[in-house]
Amino acid sequence: MNEELESQLSAMFDDELSAAECELLARRLSRDEQLKARWGRYAVIGATIRAERGVRLHAALARKVNTAILAEPALGVSGAPQRALRSGLRWRQAVAGLAVAAGVAAVSVFWLRAEAPLAVAPLTAQLALPVQAFGTTQTAGTTVPARADSYVLPRAPASRPVVVPVTELANYVVAHSMVSSPVARRNLLSAFMTSDPGAAGTEEPLEVATSNAQ
Amino acid sequence: MGADVSDLSLVRRVQRGDKGAFDALVLKYQHKLVKLVMRYVRNPAEAEDIAQEAFIKAYRALPQFRGDSAFYTWLYRIAINTAKNAVVSRDRSPIEYNLDRSSDESYDMQGRMKDSETPEGLVLTDEIRSIVNGAIDALPEDLRTAIVLRELEGLSYEEIAATMDCPVGTVRSRIFRAREAIDLRLREVFEGGLGRAEELG
Amino acid sequence: MPRAMRSSEKLAVAALAWALTGAALADPPAQKVVPEAAAHPQKTSPLDTPAHWLERMNQALTTRNYDGTFSHWQGGRVEMLRIIHRVQDGTVSERLASLDGSGREFIRTGASLACYLPDKRTVVVEQRPQQESLVGFPALTDTATSFYDIREVARMRLNRRDTHVITVAPRDEYRYGYRLWIDDSTAMPLKTQLCDAHGHVIEQVVFASLTLSPHIPDSAFKPDVSTEGYQWLRNGTGPRAAAAAAPAWYALRLPPGFRMTVRSAQRLPGAPGPVDHLVFTDGVASVSVFVEQQSRPVTEQGAVAEWSTVGSSSAFSTVVDGHKVTAVGEVPPDTVRFIATQVKAQDTDPAALRRR
Repeated sequence: MNEELESQLSAMFDDELSAAECELLARRLSRDEQLKARWGRYAVIGATIRAERGVRLHAALARKVNTAILAEPALGVSGAPQRALRSGLRWRQAVAGLAVAAGVAAVSVFWLRAEAPLAVAPLTAQLALPVQAFGTTQTAGTTVPARADSYVLPRAPASRPVVVPVTELANYVVAHSMVSSPVARRNLLSAFMTSDPGAAGTEEPLEVATSNAQ
Repeated sequence: MGADVSDLSLVRRVQRGDKGAFDALVLKYQHKLVKLVMRYVRNPAEAEDIAQEAFIKAYRALPQFRGDSAFYTWLYRIAINTAKNAVVSRDRSPIEYNLDRSSDESYDMQGRMKDSETPEGLVLTDEIRSIVNGAIDALPEDLRTAIVLRELEGLSYEEIAATMDCPVGTVRSRIFRAREAIDLRLREVFEGGLGRAEELG
Repeated sequence: MPRAMRSSEKLAVAALAWALTGAALADPPAQKVVPEAAAHPQKTSPLDTPAHWLERMNQALTTRNYDGTFSHWQGGRVEMLRIIHRVQDGTVSERLASLDGSGREFIRTGASLACYLPDKRTVVVEQRPQQESLVGFPALTDTATSFYDIREVARMRLNRRDTHVITVAPRDEYRYGYRLWIDDSTAMPLKTQLCDAHGHVIEQVVFASLTLSPHIPDSAFKPDVSTEGYQWLRNGTGPRAAAAAAPAWYALRLPPGFRMTVRSAQRLPGAPGPVDHLVFTDGVASVSVFVEQQSRPVTEQGAVAEWSTVGSSSAFSTVVDGHKVTAVGEVPPDTVRFIATQVKAQDTDPAALRRR
């Protein structure tokens, strides 16, 4: 190996090499074990700088994966039309759908955004966007007869417009959590902690009632 | 540069049947993936199993990858999904309770404790970390700054060039030389000798 | 290639040995909340009423040290979270972190609360008096049993743990119910379901891993995110001072079984002015009502009535006499709306304060 090659390797590792050079180097990388080992050590260095746990120098993981892959059929030429993976948001929503029993739409209106499956609705806390009505406006617990210990998934609560500044309700949620029972508190904060990153949209400005640090 | 060119060049090779190229992708992202999965399972061995499964799933799904998103983003989501399924699924028994050591119940404490967070994984990390940090401390400041900005802050070469007020080519060279110096120490300690001659072959 | 594994293997064995002897170490005094029944798990005693199990569970959640990951199912989605809780020298530290991409974290160390919202590049910080951590925490009174049917419906093995399945079934539609799988040995809730009045599951939490440790280091309560470039919102100082000037608020009517337990005034981070905080509870569920002390100019009132949900909890805002009133609680939407619309300012009559 020569220094120029290693320098290219370093740049390619950082995604700072031209496409043409990447093509050539990728070809060499895939079959040169020493070059690959160096490449692997670059990853170790990075992980260590970031103080990641469980960093191993000669990881069994890569070997195991390699062994498993060798047993797999080689991938064919990518000429066959395949269903392309969509953008992150839809993919994630499709995945989330796996957790839902068939026929039940995800209807809970999370307070940070209007949830609209399959439509990439931008989040704007400032706008009074009515929530997509999922077909029904019946309130919770009206018509289905009671079945103790049943695992029936809940029906949709009536949809409502969501117009709440982020900080304000966050404050109230946290303040309320301090006076809830421990279980309720944990559930409330858990819901508050989770959100769909794709829909929330980091490009959205956060609406703040007053200036920043006080 | 950027726009995922590096990963895509490897991905395309894999899609055309080059398995060695996938190995390179695994080597690059295994630590990140294990770190990600360890948010779901504390057992490092199990995290590695899940990461392994995620990589294999990714390999199988690679024909469908069209570059709509960055490769790592796509891989990351597969890993999350895999980890979630592993944890929530009823087929496995991923549930490990270390609740009351004084409990009457005789569960397999050996098996569990051995996999708990303290030993092995962290110890090895400590050794590696001390070597890497020692090597970084010994670097000239410009090299150190460059590699830290790159690896810790995730800045691009151009951003680093702006920060350090030097040409992009210089950034690339500094990062490369920093890696060389650190790698030298790693190889010294873990391979019992330089062997630089054969490295240069 | 030789690999420096020997020393780490030795350390692994040593760590294992230490862990096994962990049982021999005494728990710090703050954790010694062990009612009699727990000392003899096989023996049933009159203390093992369902209500008693609930109290033990609440005790365990608030006084023990634990570190766990759990799945949170709600609204058709599952998310994984991590929770770490520690009581040390009378100070409570806790951390709740999303493991799924949003990276949000809630961290409390003593009197300081912080919400890290990486998706909003914001940190919300507030200082709270420490004693508030347990104030307003509803103790199970006789009132609760009037409005909930609390019973143990089964003993079950859940992931090789012996659990008591306790149901807390509401007797009307003003409130939600619970099903709880409470670990016999530690009283920790290994699985919980929130249900509506008809027994349908609205929310479920299941622990995937849970460790009760005698010691949790401070480092466990550091956020994972780097807050470089974030905006920080903090609350101002002197939370109590503002209460004197504002009118006291009370609720004209309440759903059956609810009564006010706490009234305080607070400054919330990023908020324009102080806020009155009233707490109503029926012994199981709580509803907070926040009333902005500063009345709003008429022009500023956007939507008059605002609904939201935070997971399974409901929130409702309205404007009363020019003051914005927001009710939040783990109750059905109609209940928060009911309470919010019943809140009135009391002018001078001290008797009104004692009425609810």
